[in-house]
Amino acid sequence: MMTKPNVLVLFADGTNTEQESAYAFTLAGGKAEIVHVNQLRNKEKKFSDFQILALPGGFAYGDDIVSGKILAVELTSFFSEEIKKFIDRKDTLVIGICNGFQVLVRTGLLPFRNIGTMDATFTKNDSGLFECRWIKIKQEKSTCVFLKDTHISMDVSVNHGEGKFFASPNIIKKVEDENLVVFRYVDTNGNPTSVYPDNPNGSTNAIAGICDTTGRILGIMPHPEKFNHPTNHPNWRRLQLKKAHGLTIFENMINYVQKA
Amino acid sequence: MIQTVRVQTVVGKDLRGEEISNDVKTARVYRLEGVNEKEAIILAEKLFSEPINQRYTLNEPILKNASQVIEIAYKPGVMNPEIASITKAADDLRIRLKAADSAFEYGFFGEISKREAKEIIKKLRLFNPLIEQIVATPPKTLLIKGALGKTATIPIRSMGGKELLTLSKDRLFLNLEELKEIQAYFQKEKRDPTDCELETLAQTWSEHCLHKTFKATLIVDGRKKPPLFSRIKEEALKHKKHIVSAFVDNAGVMDFYDDFAINGKVETHNSPSAIEPYGGAMTGVGGVYRDVVATGESAKPIASTDIFCFAPVDMDTKKIPPGSLPPLYLLKNVARGVKDYGNRMGIPTNNGSVHFHKDFRAKPTVIVGAYGILPKRKAKKGRPKTGDVIIVIGGRTGRDGIHGATFSSAEMTEKTITINATAVQIGNAIEEKRMFDAILEARDKNLIRALQDCGAGGFSSAIGEIGEDLGTAVHLEKAPLKYAGLAPWEIWLSESQERMIVVVPKEKLNSFLKICKKYNVESAVLGTFDNDKKLKVFFKDKLACNLDMQFLHHGCPISVLQTTEPKHLRGASSVSTLVKQASSSVRSSEVAGGLLRGGPENENEWIDVLQKIISHGNICSKESIVRRYDHTVQGTNALQPYSGELLDGPNDAAIIRPLLHKPYGMVVSHGLNPILNNIDPYWGSIWAATEGIANYVAVGGNYKDASLINNYIWPFPDEESLWSLDQSVDAVVDFMKTLKIPVISGKDSLSSTYRSGGTVIKIPPVLCMSVFGKIKDVSKTVSADFKKAGSVICVVGAMDFNAMGGSIYFDVQRLLGENIPKVNLKILPTVLETMHHAIQNDSVLACHDISEGGIFTTVFEMCIGGNIGADIQIVERPDFFLFNETAGCFVVEVRDEKTARTLFINVPYTILGKTKKEKIISAKQDKTTLFAADVDKLKQVWQKPMREIFG
Repeated sequence: MMTKPNVLVLFADGTNTEQESAYAFTLAGGKAEIVHVNQLRNKEKKFSDFQILALPGGFAYGDDIVSGKILAVELTSFFSEEIKKFIDRKDTLVIGICNGFQVLVRTGLLPFRNIGTMDATFTKNDSGLFECRWIKIKQEKSTCVFLKDTHISMDVSVNHGEGKFFASPNIIKKVEDENLVVFRYVDTNGNPTSVYPDNPNGSTNAIAGICDTTGRILGIMPHPEKFNHPTNHPNWRRLQLKKAHGLTIFENMINYVQKA
Repeated sequence: MIQTVRVQTVVGKDLRGEEISNDVKTARVYRLEGVNEKEAIILAEKLFSEPINQRYTLNEPILKNASQVIEIAYKPGVMNPEIASITKAADDLRIRLKAADSAFEYGFFGEISKREAKEIIKKLRLFNPLIEQIVATPPKTLLIKGALGKTATIPIRSMGGKELLTLSKDRLFLNLEELKEIQAYFQKEKRDPTDCELETLAQTWSEHCLHKTFKATLIVDGRKKPPLFSRIKEEALKHKKHIVSAFVDNAGVMDFYDDFAINGKVETHNSPSAIEPYGGAMTGVGGVYRDVVATGESAKPIASTDIFCFAPVDMDTKKIPPGSLPPLYLLKNVARGVKDYGNRMGIPTNNGSVHFHKDFRAKPTVIVGAYGILPKRKAKKGRPKTGDVIIVIGGRTGRDGIHGATFSSAEMTEKTITINATAVQIGNAIEEKRMFDAILEARDKNLIRALQDCGAGGFSSAIGEIGEDLGTAVHLEKAPLKYAGLAPWEIWLSESQERMIVVVPKEKLNSFLKICKKYNVESAVLGTFDNDKKLKVFFKDKLACNLDMQFLHHGCPISVLQTTEPKHLRGASSVSTLVKQASSSVRSSEVAGGLLRGGPENENEWIDVLQKIISHGNICSKESIVRRYDHTVQGTNALQPYSGELLDGPNDAAIIRPLLHKPYGMVVSHGLNPILNNIDPYWGSIWAATEGIANYVAVGGNYKDASLINNYIWPFPDEESLWSLDQSVDAVVDFMKTLKIPVISGKDSLSSTYRSGGTVIKIPPVLCMSVFGKIKDVSKTVSADFKKAGSVICVVGAMDFNAMGGSIYFDVQRLLGENIPKVNLKILPTVLETMHHAIQNDSVLACHDISEGGIFTTVFEMCIGGNIGADIQIVERPDFFLFNETAGCFVVEVRDEKTARTLFINVPYTILGKTKKEKIISAKQDKTTLFAADVDKLKQVWQKPMREIFG
């Protein structure tokens, strides 16, 4: 039997989806541990003891200034070296969900692994509103290494007020050209959409999730971990759902690091 | 010197500016004290601005070509939640700030005078002058200095009655009898009290904390009756099966599965919300979460509810009494407060409702509920032991919310908004969240003996209560303060948010403090328990308070209150008057739908009435509000507020799966109806309670596994209001008797009266009945959306079709009526049990309880969810049949008639019709079609009111 990969679920003041994220990794076969950023700062815990780094959703430090900013500053101030070492290993993966995605972009890790330099950002949803609703996303053929064999097309919950992925046209082109877009918001016919509310935030090119150039760092705005049980879906009764589709991503991450 | 960084978003939308006009641009302003220019630039570039879409300036304007720039900042002393984060991030960048502040700037382009620009800002209410200000000149320093306040002595022993009352007015809010009791105590003590002692007594004896009315013996119509509270408690404790703890802790606790228990608390936050709705709602939500967390040795919050009552949003502003705020402003900002606080806390806000009635124009009703889960063996507080330490953790203490307890016990007047401004504050959700995170870890490591939240009355209340049996010595100079200059009594009484008192055995203190550090939670040891039965409060070596615990907690005279049935209500429930006009100005020609002629007469009249009903504030879709609240966080949802083909059909209750690896569910619902309560307090209250339980059962809950939480939001209990309160409590007791389930928590708030000059407005009395309980398997539950075409629709339960008083059907025609629906309590338990079994058998495809707007509205909402239509057959007077609002009845979708016959053989039921693919609701009486209404068109009408407000 293969050993369970260690998953570091990063926790800071205001993180709020750490439990369901840890649970999703546990169901997927991982050994998840919720680690407070202060435990990393005082060396009680080390990045090097883990194979997967997960930055869950929430409002880290209240999302003051802009979402994820304060945590991004903290990570780049104290952990640039350690994180670099972590992502340079071949057996590691990183995922940032919602607020975690915002943090990854604000640290510069996404899309181009430039720790300390931002290439893209997130702005307020075009509606100006916080959105809590289930929408559809669809996976594309991308660089993402652990989703090579999947064709994810699923309903999933979004919960955010600053979810519009935004960058200069050059950067967006580069992201597209290098196949870094992993997920897009789609309409009922499965086509990428800029129409609200199917695209809940007005994100450029309907981008809902991207990976880095090595395909081992994934950022995703919706919350697959909140679809950890069939009954999480608002229409599990009508659809007679038997599977929690949100788990696919976590299962594939675990499989990948087990084989790496 | 202060460095000022300004940041403008230059690529993309300027949403804040666009809200005013295209000629307005906005910028953020950060003022930094104690750093040099170089450091300010580092902060500007690494923290405050992002080069991709923003630019910044240092110490110079950024909206350069604006003809006017108006800056809005928090007033000095008002906690700005952003500052802690800014300070932390600066620290991480190795820059030490002495102080900081953040603000907003509005730049007006084009020709406009300063006065005009200010007028626009004021008119749009872009700031609340109670907490924010237009910055006239930039501050020279952000540090708040102040001389140490002193403890004063009040010469109460020599005061006459008149002087005592003057002392009480606007400060202590006590009555003469109570003041005399205090006077006698100090005469016996042979000394005068300190301000700290008087304030402590005033808040401990306030209606808000002591619930004097609920504890008083009543004489009703000449007959002596036990106190309201005893009646509720006595009946509740007869139904103990699931009770773990009731009436003794901050929330009621019932058992769950696998050695877990669940707890619930519902609170009101009307007074602060009336004058500063954003901050008021935030602190209301924050407070009720703390109640749940401060239950037993602590619980984890897992769900929350929000229930609001306002005046209609389109009410003529001239009708809003002086000192009260317009309902639209209140609604928007209360909802925004819930959003900003609840979402940041990571606690799903998954159930709620909004109600409208003109008599809420003087003061809104804002009800917030929270639910939690905890290990059963930690569900009761430990008793503090001599030597245990008292720790304050969480936010710092400032001059916030002083007099909150006494203020919310008082009636509202036109002066309330100015005199009690200190009762208002802004919440900091992250402060509270990290405090909860720390507490829950400490609980799991068995470090907590007991804990108490600092709510109304602050330390005074929390420490006073927790030390009641032993006695405590507290040192106020140890409390971390937001700024200098607080008098000891202010520290003691401050209601600054996000603080809790934790009792920890001495030997576990270090472990506890270590956990606080891990979570960035500030903590300080305030004192110890010393077993001399006194509440001793020191500031350095000076004694500021030294009161007998016995006198403090049991010294308040409990009065005997008298009441008689008001003449205009006498026999109301037996009068069969069909129609009573709600407004004397209404002319019969204005009565739409021709009710006075016996109901709508043609299809146009029908459609007109249908549209009026479904667009009524109480019935229209609240989806636009609900989408602003995070209701899926924690990943536990098993029934969401909206479901169906297009995810826009409303459901009756929330179901969550709090233990992610188990199928167990918690069901949460509620019911209230201020209009019915106003007409007939007894049957209106029965209606509210039945509505709560019907919502619970409609989704699949078993009422026998439910507990109740009752909240009474009543006008000041004068003779008339006390009578209706007494009726309402009797109704709740009878309801418990009927279903054999207990009330395990509750609260009363008896200050819903507005007085100004000769004007007295009594806000409609509200009994809100919240219901929560357990269900073994969340997969055995149903949603309200119709599942398919061709199913059979039936109505289950005993409808009281002729009782139309207080219905929305009457209301939209400006009629009131006296004869309100009476729930058949004899048959109710069987109906509820039958519904539960039907759902457990997987025989029910969809179920929705009948409530405001009647059978029609229920079917309509189910059609929206299903994205289909229905044919319905009417068997009584058509308008009464479609719009009667008897609670405790259900519209149910089943496969075929045979299934209906088998399931519902033991209860009253009728086959209503069938679902169909075509999105039309057709109503027929015999063979005549009364109307065929287009579901999509009606849906637009139903969604429009809240969409216009919330987007």
